[in-house]
Amino acid sequence: MKNQLKVLRAMRNWSQADLGEHLDVSRQAVNAIETGKYDPSLPLAFKISRLFDLPIEQIFDDEFDGGKHV
Amino acid sequence: MFDVDENADRNGRRILWMSLCGLGIIMILGAITGLLSAHMSEGGGPLNIASYTVLAALMSGTLLLAFVIWKLFRQMKRSDQKVPQREKVYNRFFIGSFTFGGITGLVLALTGGFDETEAGLISNDAMSPTLAIILSIAIGVIAPAITLYWHKHAVDEQEEAAYRFGALIAMYAFWFIAPVWWLLWRGGMLPEVNGITLYFMTFFAATAVWFWKKYL
Repeated sequence: MKNQLKVLRAMRNWSQADLGEHLDVSRQAVNAIETGKYDPSLPLAFKISRLFDLPIEQIFDDEFDGGKHV
Repeated sequence: MFDVDENADRNGRRILWMSLCGLGIIMILGAITGLLSAHMSEGGGPLNIASYTVLAALMSGTLLLAFVIWKLFRQMKRSDQKVPQREKVYNRFFIGSFTFGGITGLVLALTGGFDETEAGLISNDAMSPTLAIILSIAIGVIAPAITLYWHKHAVDEQEEAAYRFGALIAMYAFWFIAPVWWLLWRGGMLPEVNGITLYFMTFFAATAVWFWKKYL
């Protein structure tokens, strides 16, 4: 799943480890989420949303185009 | 900031190469031991030039691999950054478990926990009841307790997913390899199915997939 995590942490000048510390996950987990190799659980997505004070759908993009695709 | 992340991102590959070099050192040391044992069983005496050359080559190989491990370790240390608390606990457990396992294996090998005819820990040969009980408690009681603590305090959800996928692949490996081996044994093409070999195959499958999903 595409996401804005890299941009958001760059705005705060945080490294992956910094973000990992805020979320209580490893640096590898942050990297895996950023690169789309791993989709976070709903609780972790909410945690990210609260941390950046943004709604989940502004951080994560499930590439759903309104139901036009089958 | 991104340079720091990119450098830390290479640590997975560094760990992989360090592990392979470590395995290489163990194999070379095994070859040196075998060479010297063969020489002793043939009556001993001074080594000839050819044997010295082979030994020197093997020793050089060991030193080269040790140097590569040291270089990679230094690079890993340089990539250090602020480590999240959960990862600190994780790293301590990881290093502690490897150190404990390595020392235990070394002590067992050096103190002669096995008969002279035995190949070592990984074989089907007899071992003393005391050693069997100690190892069973270590694997059946202590290891699960450590694993439980590990999962509750060190592992995050991304690694849990890596473990789950590794377990799935290991299960498939077992489901497919075991009957194929059994059928080929019945057809007279393979030796009888060995449970411990199957265990190590599934263990290797799970570990390889976990490593790939977590670090690469």
